[in-house]
Amino acid sequence: MNMRKRTRAVLGVVALTSAIALTLAGCSRGGGGDATAGAASPGITDDSITLGITTPLSGATAGPGTCTVAGVTAYFGAVNAAGGVTFGDGKTRKVDIKALDDAYDPQKAKANYDQLKDSVFAMTAGLGTPTNRAYREAAIADKVPQVLVMTGDPLFSNQQESPWQLGFVPIYQNEGEAFGKLLASSSGTHKVAILSQNDDYGEGYVEGFKEGINGASNVEVVKELTYEATDTSVDAQLTELAASGADVFFNAMSITPLVISSLQKAQQLNWLPSWFLPSNTSSPGAILQPGGATAFPGVYTVAFAQSASAPDFATSKDGEQFLADLKQYANYPDVPAFPHCIWSYQLGAVLQQAFEKMTAPTRDDFMTQLRSISGFQAPFMLEGTAVDTTKDGLPAVSSVLVQKYNGKGYATAKSFG
Amino acid sequence: MGTFIQLFVDGLSTGSIYAALALAIVLVNQATGLINFAQGGMAVLAAYVAWWCVSNGVPLILAILVSVLFSFALGAVIERYVMRRFERGDPDTAIVVTVGLLTLITGVCGWLWSYNNQQFPSLFPLDTVQVLGASISVRSIGTTIVIIAIMALLQALFIGTKFGLALRAVAVNPTSAAFSGLPVGRLLMAGWGLAAGLGAVAGALVAPQLTLTPGMMDNALVYALAAVILGGLSSPIGVVVAAWLIGVLENLAAVYIPFIGYDLKVAVPFVLIFVVLIVRPQGLFGRKAVVRV
Repeated sequence: MNMRKRTRAVLGVVALTSAIALTLAGCSRGGGGDATAGAASPGITDDSITLGITTPLSGATAGPGTCTVAGVTAYFGAVNAAGGVTFGDGKTRKVDIKALDDAYDPQKAKANYDQLKDSVFAMTAGLGTPTNRAYREAAIADKVPQVLVMTGDPLFSNQQESPWQLGFVPIYQNEGEAFGKLLASSSGTHKVAILSQNDDYGEGYVEGFKEGINGASNVEVVKELTYEATDTSVDAQLTELAASGADVFFNAMSITPLVISSLQKAQQLNWLPSWFLPSNTSSPGAILQPGGATAFPGVYTVAFAQSASAPDFATSKDGEQFLADLKQYANYPDVPAFPHCIWSYQLGAVLQQAFEKMTAPTRDDFMTQLRSISGFQAPFMLEGTAVDTTKDGLPAVSSVLVQKYNGKGYATAKSFG
Repeated sequence: MGTFIQLFVDGLSTGSIYAALALAIVLVNQATGLINFAQGGMAVLAAYVAWWCVSNGVPLILAILVSVLFSFALGAVIERYVMRRFERGDPDTAIVVTVGLLTLITGVCGWLWSYNNQQFPSLFPLDTVQVLGASISVRSIGTTIVIIAIMALLQALFIGTKFGLALRAVAVNPTSAAFSGLPVGRLLMAGWGLAAGLGAVAGALVAPQLTLTPGMMDNALVYALAAVILGGLSSPIGVVVAAWLIGVLENLAAVYIPFIGYDLKVAVPFVLIFVVLIVRPQGLFGRKAVVRV
């Protein structure tokens, strides 16, 4: 018996020691990207590079979340099929993507990041402000790039605060300001009603809009209300806003069903102002058609990319190729109702630009090269917009054009009205 | 005045959404003594079935009928093969099982039909009528009428029929009910089936307004539970009145009480519950449970 007990004790000590040794080994390996000069960072070999994504693939935001994975997967699927990316160090690598579901839950996003950080070269494309914020500090500490993320939060483009991050889509303020400037430059006088989401998203849009109309004597904000992202209805807000008699309505909303019901409610109240809608909740097919948007004198949004749900997109040569890639490489057979598929397809092209410039297979060099792209016309970018990663404080895309709905898709609006 | 009436009517319309779900919860509770957290998820699944039928060319009314039948069967099957294993045990366990079912059903909907928003056709036109300066949508009126009709039917079922009495007897004391010759198993299955069928009607009524997604009912479920507690678990009339009260008071408080506004309006129903439960623990219309010793 004694013998057996001792054996067990010895085995226990061995097991414990091995566990500690393994953990330590894991820590030293998982320390992140501070690889010594010349040595490759994790997630990159001579013939492949692996990118990590954490984004909502289930839950309320899964539609756009699935799209973010599909776009970049389609882009690199086609690139890999053509042989891969030739990096600046002369080696040709295939691009692998590991995508995990965070269901828009910050805690899951952080857990996904922890799971991915040692096996991927960089995190990218993830959708959502709270989820990207959840692992931002850890990524800085680990020196893991978290780049071209799909959030309009300006924090991710501030190099002092976020040295290992870069946003992709325009910050909320950029979009709001574009609306404000368009309105301020119009000839008539306007009364504006604003409904905004009660968080950074809504506040960013409103701040940008007010910046845009600053000093304009022909624009007056007559009523401002907010809603919570968890609300099932905004009928009461619309009733109150309609009573303000505004002729322009800025609906800074991120929840698809609420935008549709707002469009319907305004018509029921016989309130027919011009609408400003954020870029992520202005899809012609998913929102404007079911909402009956043609009843209003004008529905405006901002964009830097073509809309895949516009009727002439599918018949264009590039559009056809894009939809085929999406189907073949990303298992996404539908015409996307969300702009995120196109956006993440574009960010694939931006990543490729950075890869082609990289002379060392390190995360450090990647960040340097990624921040040196300017005047790049990614696929499907609207004329007059471009990728510019060189400006501190701004995301990769900060130039936007105001678009007006024409009953089917959007066309660039030179002036208001 | 126009604004006040508009807010009041909008509140009734939102309240009707909560009421539809709350009625299904009351029905399961009356038939089994349980609170079924999966009710919202089952309603969404039924709405998807109806939507799928419509997308394949079935007329809307027929599609809704199909979804009601499908739901009835689903409810009965869930009772027979899932819930029955937990019915004699700790009620808390059974409730946790319903929470698990909610997650499972939501996941299945997402897996089958994706998480994209789907446009569900409305039973009623999008037109509005003008009453005292307020625009009332025909859809709201229609929804409200259907809710009132269901409420009346349920009330009649529980109070006026032998079947309703048997359902209640089984819920209150299954052992005694079995001794007096009632087919407890079949009654429990019927109770779940009816509640699920009612949930299908709720799903079809609210899907056009909320647009169909797997999580469509998540927020509504919270308000429906609030209405159930406020109105009283045993009273169909009570929960409908409570749901309307919640919808209307929430709207009015947001606009007319500056301190509350749109930020705090979500707290209104819960403060209301707090106050009511202190004064009347059984809810506004509920019956007090009396135990004879």
